[in-house]
Amino acid sequence: MPDPAAPLPEATPDATVAAERRLHPMSWLFVLVQQLKQFILPLIVLLVFGRGDRNELWPLIGVAVLVVLSLWQYFTYRYGVAGDRLVIRSGLFERSLRVIPFARIHNVALQQSALHRVFGVAEVRLESAGGSKPEAQMRVLKLDDALALEALVRHRGAAPASAVSEPESATLLALPFGEIVRLGLVSNRGMVVVVATFVAIAQISQRAILNAFQSVGKWLFGFAGEHHFGIAQYIVSALAMLVFAVVLLRAFSILLALLQYYGFRLSEIGRRLTVERGLLARWRTSASRRRIQAWTLHEGTLHRLLKRRSLDVDTAVAEEQQQQRALRELAPIATPAACDALIEHLLPRAGWSQLDWRALPATNWWRLVLPTIPVVAAITIAASWRVGAWGLLVLAWLPWAAFVAYRRAQRMAYAANPEVIAVREGWWTRHWRFAELDKLQALQLTRSPLDRRCGTATLHLDTAGSGALSPQLRVRFLPHDEALALYASLSRTLTSRPLRW
Amino acid sequence: MSESPPAVELPAVDQRAPSGWHALPDRARLPSMLTPVLPFALPGMVGGFVLAGVFGLWFAPPVLALVGAAVGAWIGLKHYRSTFWRLDEDGLAVRRGRLWQRETRVPATRVQHLDLKRGPLQRQRRLATLVVHTAGTRHSAVTVPHLDADDAERLRDLLSRQIDADDDA
Repeated sequence: MPDPAAPLPEATPDATVAAERRLHPMSWLFVLVQQLKQFILPLIVLLVFGRGDRNELWPLIGVAVLVVLSLWQYFTYRYGVAGDRLVIRSGLFERSLRVIPFARIHNVALQQSALHRVFGVAEVRLESAGGSKPEAQMRVLKLDDALALEALVRHRGAAPASAVSEPESATLLALPFGEIVRLGLVSNRGMVVVVATFVAIAQISQRAILNAFQSVGKWLFGFAGEHHFGIAQYIVSALAMLVFAVVLLRAFSILLALLQYYGFRLSEIGRRLTVERGLLARWRTSASRRRIQAWTLHEGTLHRLLKRRSLDVDTAVAEEQQQQRALRELAPIATPAACDALIEHLLPRAGWSQLDWRALPATNWWRLVLPTIPVVAAITIAASWRVGAWGLLVLAWLPWAAFVAYRRAQRMAYAANPEVIAVREGWWTRHWRFAELDKLQALQLTRSPLDRRCGTATLHLDTAGSGALSPQLRVRFLPHDEALALYASLSRTLTSRPLRW
Repeated sequence: MSESPPAVELPAVDQRAPSGWHALPDRARLPSMLTPVLPFALPGMVGGFVLAGVFGLWFAPPVLALVGAAVGAWIGLKHYRSTFWRLDEDGLAVRRGRLWQRETRVPATRVQHLDLKRGPLQRQRRLATLVVHTAGTRHSAVTVPHLDADDAERLRDLLSRQIDADDDA
């Protein structure tokens, strides 16, 4: 671990730490806000239902205790740099000393909520690979201090004072307003809001949705008491409702995209990538380029209509849902050419645009239909049960599924070279998944009875940090001898290359 | 890997194993059979209690539990017969399954840490279960069940030698 070229003498954790620093003086407020968020419900319950008893002061006492705890944290929390590591002291009675080598930090996340921005501060999280919690979480630092800390990590602690040696920050991708509107159009983020609204309305009043339905009809046709409502009118107003819902959904999606991605900028300083985004709350995440474990290029149907794609990466940082702290989206939306240029720039040796794609035998297309059949059968049985012979119409899905499977099978391909292995899948929605060979962790070759019958095998390639939702890096329907050769050559390559992550 | 391939002196290769692969020792048959017994016997018993409750078949729980146990033991025997491992210059490989065959390979350079587990029955029969952890996600823990204890320790030592070499993060 210790760098022989380090200018500073090897510092033990207890050695004097150059210039210990504290959190921002207002940090107690944000710690308090954070704690109040957890206790807000009990406090409200106490306030509302505690009335009439003589316990009205309890919530205030609770808040006072939290204030004291927050101040306590402020006064006991210090951090400083000792050589190539960060040292964090906290606590007075129960003291904790945490030493984090800069080389172990995979990801630096700065988060600024609207309130943070009022005070000019930011919350900082330093993350290493694995683990469910950040290595260090500083709530909150002055924005300058936070950026200085980020620079420290970038230089691995070697005095960032020499601004001369600081490489220029180059913008790799910036999203103008129009792109963010497109991003909103293709994403389904608004769905959550709309569904939640519908559920809430339905909870409040069972008839509200039905009434809305009828008033839309009335508004459309101008007349009509209920007895005038024919089947045609019902269909038209249902369609109108549908269009309305879709428009609403997209509008919310665009709004959310604006809130989250306004001013999106992917930039590169030296080997480090930084993403900044957000309208009210701002996020700034930065990670070294080599921390990227696997890549996903995605093209949905709407993407294709707008001639756009999205480029996501996995980092080894464990991330809980809804916490946007890891570097994940390199290009939320960009033209295919821009995505390719980005990959070429970040993986210069992979030869992304000259990959030798090898098609997988399309004769196995029927195996892609198999998972659909039980589902269609179940729906058909259920539908026939309810509406009789009309339910058999569901079976009409099968030819379409077969067609889609056929097109998918035709497009399936993989590419392998000494640097990278890539898999291409999908037709209606497409994705490309690839990883550098250095980042592969384990290989698995599987053969089901069907595989043996068709003379094929599936090769699974495991990488760190791949989420449950991201597509798997696996080559399906690979002819058996080809699979064995690829498997053998990959395991040979992995053995000769040390893990770099 | 700069050092010479770790040659492991091993027990005579079983005829059942494909060439170059090692089967589990005979002593592992009983523990292998016992492992899946409970996961199959319990659902059998639960199903039996349901039958007993609905149709009043008092004998259903023990009978179905026994059937489940027998199925479990049979599956365990199958597992035992179709589990092979090998260690070569490319790292550790484990082959499992007969109908659904899967061969997992962990290159020695990718091993993060190793677990060696020994249950009471395994200790009595000089067996051990080796778990190889990688930084991956879906195959982050590769298990070789009921190895000969000496083999397991040798595997652990050979594979962990690689971890020390990997110093820079």
